[in-house]
Amino acid sequence: MLRVFDLVLGYDQEPVVEGVSLDVSAGKFVSLVGPSGSGKTSVLRAINGLLIPRSGRIELNGGQESLGFLFQDDALLPWRTARDNAALGLRIRKMSKSSALLEADAWLNRLGLEGFGGRYPHELSGGQRKRVAIAQILALKPKLLLMDEPFASLDAIVRTRLTQELLAWVEREHLSVLLVTHDLEEALSVSDTVYLLSQGPRARIRNSYPVAIPRPRDIFAARKHPSFTPLLEQLWQDMFDEVGAPKIEAMK
Amino acid sequence: MSFLKEQLWLRRLLALAALALAWELLSRQGVLDPFYAPPPSEVMRVLITLFTEGRIFSHLEATFAASLAGLIIGLVLGIVLGFAAALVPLISELLEPVMMLLNAIPRVILAPLFVIWLGIELPSKIALSVVLVAVLVFFAVYSGIKDVDHTLVDRVRTLGGGRMVLLREVYIPSVTAWVLGSLKVAVGFAFTGAVVGEFVAATRGLGYLLQFAQSTYNAALTMGLIFLIMAFVLILFVGAEAIEHRLLRWRYRGYNQKAS
Repeated sequence: MLRVFDLVLGYDQEPVVEGVSLDVSAGKFVSLVGPSGSGKTSVLRAINGLLIPRSGRIELNGGQESLGFLFQDDALLPWRTARDNAALGLRIRKMSKSSALLEADAWLNRLGLEGFGGRYPHELSGGQRKRVAIAQILALKPKLLLMDEPFASLDAIVRTRLTQELLAWVEREHLSVLLVTHDLEEALSVSDTVYLLSQGPRARIRNSYPVAIPRPRDIFAARKHPSFTPLLEQLWQDMFDEVGAPKIEAMK
Repeated sequence: MSFLKEQLWLRRLLALAALALAWELLSRQGVLDPFYAPPPSEVMRVLITLFTEGRIFSHLEATFAASLAGLIIGLVLGIVLGFAAALVPLISELLEPVMMLLNAIPRVILAPLFVIWLGIELPSKIALSVVLVAVLVFFAVYSGIKDVDHTLVDRVRTLGGGRMVLLREVYIPSVTAWVLGSLKVAVGFAFTGAVVGEFVAATRGLGYLLQFAQSTYNAALTMGLIFLIMAFVLILFVGAEAIEHRLLRWRYRGYNQKAS
């Protein structure tokens, strides 16, 4: 679905990431984790065409139209209602206004926002705004979802519920996902593969970790799988090695 | 008493009435010299005479015409130049220093120049209003575009939106909020331009009347005209606020409906 080869990205002299390669096969959930400032978001922005790479190659089946990008912020237009925001992508893709609004309503209902379509973003809670942003993306029927810590700003309960709901949707629709997160437990509980980005600048892929937990998954049950804790410890250890923190054994 | 506590406008009105009453009594008792501070009843009498004799209307017409024309032309000019400077770097390079300079100086000092260039009739008053309003609106539009939320720009771009979609969905609504936010100030500026222009040189207008009242040491007429100008600006201010609330209803609608 998506293959990235030797990607080099930068905003000034020194590259932020250098030689990043990764693979997201069709129907697979892949996470990219790494220390703060390692360039995780920049990789997503390059895949989405918001950042031009200095070098490297990005191969994407279905082109940019097959992508859906969930931002860290809600990124909803404050002057548009929830319904209009959800219909925005469809309208940009030339769907008639009435059809786009009908489709948007259907998605808002599916995501538990029945009766909230006429509200403006500031009249919604953080979780509701996030659901509108998800409706906006899923209405476009993307094949690959790019997610940049989309639920980081939410409280733990809403965050867990939305993650579980989105995971169920992704599994049911066989979507491919590339998730950027700093939460290693979350990455392991939802992913088929986790890539660890090294400390920037000149960050690169330090290692990849296949996660052999069967699907469909429940994010709580996944954490009790026998392979989960050893993988998490390995991931933490490699992360600590990157940022120069103490060994896990010494902390026990 | 509880009704009084709840009604802010009533408390303000009562305070104003108390001030006027005190002023009236002090003036009648001779504590205040009526030559310098005539009682409110005298100020009202002068104003009523102006209206009943019909002498005020041609002056009102002149000031309103100059203010309204200045406001409309200033808004259009400020919006066009603001967009041009924000979207075309070359125009920004040329225009920004000029606008910065015009913004830094008290722009009413241009009034005598406009009288020399355009004469003492309406055009010189309109020109001063235009300069006052256009500079204000220019910076509102320029900042509105420069400070636009880039997450929204990225969002529209990732949904496949091009320049026209960005303009329609992000830039214009964002700039509208900035322009409408400065509309109330612009109304005051338009009136200021017209009145100051008339004050410098004119044959009619509220500024001309003010200048006449000052030169004849007519404090009652001066105060009456000042109150009249304040009343008109207040009415226009309320009108501008109503337009702002109507066009930015998304901003003012219900903050108390949030659900978890």
